Amino acid sequence: MSHATKDRQDTGGRTTGGYLPGIRDVVVLELKQRLRSRGWYIMLAIWFVLTGLVTWLTWASWNASQEAQRGYPGYVAPPDTGPGSMIFEVVLAFVLLFALLVAPALSANAVNGDRAGGTLAILQVTLLRPGQILWGKFVAAWAAALAFLVASTPFLVIGVALGGMTPGHVLVALLMLAVEVGVVCAIGVGISALAGRPLFSIVVTYLAVAGLAVGTLIAFGLGTGLTQGTIMANQAQYRAYEPLSREGGQQGPIEPEYTCSGPLQEQSAMRTERVAWLIAMNPYVVVADAIPYEDRSQERNYSSVGAIETISQGARYAMAGPEGTFPCANGEVKPRYLAQSTPLWPLGLGLQLLVAALLMWLGWRALRTPARKLARGTRIA
Amino acid sequence: MPMISELSDGTAGLEPDGGITAHAVSRSFGTVHAVEHMDFHAPAGKVTALIGPNGAGKTTLLLMLASLLAPDQGSISVGGLDPRRDRAEVRSRVGWMPDTLGVWESLTAREILTQMARFYRLPAQGIGRRVAELLERVRLDDLADQPARVLSRGQQQRLSLARALIHDPSVLLLDEPASGLDPGSRVELRLMLRELAAEGKAVVVSSHVLSELDEIADGAVFVNKGRTVRQQTTEQAAAAGRRYAVTASDMEALAAKLAGLGLAFRREDGRRPALSLMLGGDSDAERLLRDLVLAGVGVTSFAPATGALEETYMSLEGELR
Repeated sequence: MSHATKDRQDTGGRTTGGYLPGIRDVVVLELKQRLRSRGWYIMLAIWFVLTGLVTWLTWASWNASQEAQRGYPGYVAPPDTGPGSMIFEVVLAFVLLFALLVAPALSANAVNGDRAGGTLAILQVTLLRPGQILWGKFVAAWAAALAFLVASTPFLVIGVALGGMTPGHVLVALLMLAVEVGVVCAIGVGISALAGRPLFSIVVTYLAVAGLAVGTLIAFGLGTGLTQGTIMANQAQYRAYEPLSREGGQQGPIEPEYTCSGPLQEQSAMRTERVAWLIAMNPYVVVADAIPYEDRSQERNYSSVGAIETISQGARYAMAGPEGTFPCANGEVKPRYLAQSTPLWPLGLGLQLLVAALLMWLGWRALRTPARKLARGTRIA
Repeated sequence: MPMISELSDGTAGLEPDGGITAHAVSRSFGTVHAVEHMDFHAPAGKVTALIGPNGAGKTTLLLMLASLLAPDQGSISVGGLDPRRDRAEVRSRVGWMPDTLGVWESLTAREILTQMARFYRLPAQGIGRRVAELLERVRLDDLADQPARVLSRGQQQRLSLARALIHDPSVLLLDEPASGLDPGSRVELRLMLRELAAEGKAVVVSSHVLSELDEIADGAVFVNKGRTVRQQTTEQAAAAGRRYAVTASDMEALAAKLAGLGLAFRREDGRRPALSLMLGGDSDAERLLRDLVLAGVGVTSFAPATGALEETYMSLEGELR
């Protein structure tokens, strides 16, 4: 900072300054306005109450079901499960859902809202560069959205405190939520720089979010139908059925559950790995896959597997494709449980960042001055 | 990357003419040719009026001069610098006041000016003083800490002017600065623009309220349908002749005298009946008034019917139709 001031004095006048101070000034301008709007506080309060309500309802319903189960004769509570994992998962899913709903509202009118209000050109005519305006708007929108995550932190912590989870889970979950919200904000800000009217850009951003959350599932489902392929595999011989027992002493190694024998034959299989990138882009998959869970490949009883794990494993199955999951593909026994060492979320997040970066770049192009092309019906001032 | 342009700072500032010039600029939006081969020059130290009817291309030209819009053809020079190449340097020399009142409503006047000073990268330690100085200059110092949304239209207009002045630009582009101002504020604006021109700034004022431009503008550029129609100084406009309105206690005697002098006149159907006629200049007016008085016509009023610029504007309107 002092260095920058010195530079200015040396040249005896103004300089274009550093890139970051310009961004910071835009962020300050944006946040001042956001912090003074009552709507934001009202939304924050509603958010807090709703998240609290969901947490309480989850806890209450878990208690009620425990109560009911205790009524059965011969019921023995599973050893180390509290409501923690369940509350954590429900709250996490809920927070992610609402973050995906709130982020477009906070970001998708950042640029064209200013354009409509006549204040965008005021910024553009100064020494600020288009990138500084865009980054500033993005950081401010992100910060405003992160406040919602901060408001929901207590409930995620409750989820941990009630048992079953570690603080690491909360940290990773919050980090991934923050990144996902950032991706949506970047998409929103990018679209708002491209679209003429705030209403249009907000709707398009919501559609983009819907595309990520639901569209990827549909696309994956439909895409799978197009991936009919074959795989070389032989016959799987499953072991004789052994009754499940709770006594730890009798639990031997449960894998492999089957043995492979016979000649390799061509068998039809879905080559899901070709379309798995679609499902990897789903924000729920990204968050669920990034949260660490125990390696259960040595466990027999999956009864306490949570939703996070199920989503993560499902996506990893799709990614592994028949080569990694089809019984006796290439005459090899496949693990029933895919290890954490093959994470999917970097691919999904990478694709999301690619989309967000593309939109931000297009938005940057639209903010350049002197402007050559204007979107239809927009006035620069 | 912008550092390179800074080397030229010292020399470029010493240009004899710090004004702003547009040479044969054109700009179209789709099929609409907003500006076609327009020439424009506003010298330093003068107030130049940009006059034309609505939709004549005034705002488009000003946007190009403010380096917000790129011309399709033609060139713009601010004190010898091209906005496309020396973007930052041109920006720090040009102050632009838009025709729309874009204000950050939840910020106070002081905060808005402080933010603008930061966006222009003024030295941090001088910002507070500069802001206070400008607030006083536009008479907003007692409202400085009110959110901008409570300001009246005229006050917001003055804030907008202060915003354009924050970095002490050498070229000031004002798009309809007087619209929405009460008569008192108009007089004030007029004085202020004269002051700014006296400081050596090139002041460009676009307006279609012509009577007041007579008082402030040293020269005018008339535009219509995207073209420069005429460029003249206010003196030239006055010398080209203007219409005078004359009333007398006995209108028939006045009409007879004017007819006797061989002057073409027409009867005006205003609230008060008057005769109006074109006179070549101040000396013509002087002579006619003396003749009328010496002839015993009871002249009750003798004054220009329109401003000098308005006269040009109206004559151009006629030509263009």
